[in-house]
Amino acid sequence: MAEIRWESDFQSAIELAGKNHKPVFLDFWFDG
Amino acid sequence: MNAGPYSDQKVQQYIEDQFIPLKSQCFWDNRTELMKRFDIAWTPTLLVLDPSAREHRRIIGFVPTDDFMAHLKLGKGMMLFNRFRFAESSHEFNAVIEQHPDSLVVPEAVFFLGVAGYWKSHEARFLRQAYDRLIEHYPQSEWARRATPYAQIAL
Repeated sequence: MAEIRWESDFQSAIELAGKNHKPVFLDFWFDG
Repeated sequence: MNAGPYSDQKVQQYIEDQFIPLKSQCFWDNRTELMKRFDIAWTPTLLVLDPSAREHRRIIGFVPTDDFMAHLKLGKGMMLFNRFRFAESSHEFNAVIEQHPDSLVVPEAVFFLGVAGYWKSHEARFLRQAYDRLIEHYPQSEWARRATPYAQIAL
């Protein structure tokens, strides 16, 4: 089972995307 | 939180394999810098960004699992298309069409598959083929309307 390992920091995610040549999937959510 | 599609193992695997996943919590009474940067006015809002943080797809509101997968593949395809990587984008558009035939985004994938085919080959027949496919299978879609000029192209 491949649980999603969510990033929480935008800049880190963008850097990882560049290193891994992958797009970023960004989920804006509201806890309400 | 938009937990629905994420509980599906195929979705989890696909996101893990194909994307860098990032969650950002929204606060309406004190909007975050990321909310302001991307003009977030409702949730869930899901974005596909390239590694330069440019936006290539925006999905607002709840989306059922199969449509969700189709949107992700189309989003990846649009990122590649917008970067002139037409062969790779065609692969993603075909995946939407073949693997998610009931999704409402299929007509959009058909349209852009035609345009990507044109850019790859500079043969206008790919545009006409997209038009024919849209008129035959999705005549009420907005993408059939957008493809109307291609009806004049000879096969």
